[in-house]
Amino acid sequence: MTDIAQAEQPEAETKKPARHIPGQPDMWVLVLFEALVFTAYFAVYLFHRSAHSGLFLRSQAYLNPWLGTLDTVLLLTSSMFMLHCVQAARAGVARAAMTNACLTALLGLGFLISKVTEWILLTRTGHGFTSNEFFMYYFFLTGIHLLHLLIGFITLGVIMYQLRSPKRGSREIVETCATYWHTVDLLWILIFSLLYVVR
Amino acid sequence: MSAQPEKARARNAQAKRRSLIVLLILVAITLGYLALDRSADAPGAYRARSVVTTIAILLALVKVRLIFREFMQVRNAPMLLCRLIDLWVAMIGAALLASYYIGLAVH
Repeated sequence: MTDIAQAEQPEAETKKPARHIPGQPDMWVLVLFEALVFTAYFAVYLFHRSAHSGLFLRSQAYLNPWLGTLDTVLLLTSSMFMLHCVQAARAGVARAAMTNACLTALLGLGFLISKVTEWILLTRTGHGFTSNEFFMYYFFLTGIHLLHLLIGFITLGVIMYQLRSPKRGSREIVETCATYWHTVDLLWILIFSLLYVVR
Repeated sequence: MSAQPEKARARNAQAKRRSLIVLLILVAITLGYLALDRSADAPGAYRARSVVTTIAILLALVKVRLIFREFMQVRNAPMLLCRLIDLWVAMIGAALLASYYIGLAVH
């Protein structure tokens, strides 16, 4: 386990970083497995979409692409701050790492509020999980993604707990949790393009 | 002030600049979706367009690869993980496009 405190040594800072797997390899197995599971969901969705393209297109028109774009920008920006958090933790600057972790959490919260708002707007206009096949996929995919986001908040909590004290600050745990957060982001990238953009 | 922390600071600033450029590229692609979205449709109605679907999936894969390489720092990971991720992205793309086009052919 590499401590954040150890990284404060100037010699360690100036050396060119060697190639290493960011975080624990187990997390990468989980990431690739998650990507595989979601790909299966997406493949079934696209196959059914081809069968009922008229219904899917009519239902898709009720989604707000601007809100979807805002969600995407929020998560992409949160990913950038998460990267800055990891870089600061590696350099041993716990305060900057904590600031970036807080910014990441704030943007994640923005995404959560935006997504719940969109759900409320849709259900108010009579489009729920059981309305039709498109909305069944919409609520299932965005719902399961939101569940991943909530788990992402737990990983953010773990990062903040690690950063609060240099004694327990583990660079590897910070990197592992960050990898999970980025996975939430990249899954949304695919969901956004499949639900909002494809025709 | 010694030269070593100065170098570390300069490298840190360079890394931040790089991540900001990557973010701008990702946001630009996302905004490009909106243009794609508008060009695909007749006024008041959405139309089925295979070319839009294909471009949307390919652009999403470009974004996913960028996130893997830059934000998840796969570009600094061992070659094996780099190639595995590339293979994974290609597999996801193949699966998505195949499902869509097989669905079109079957129905």
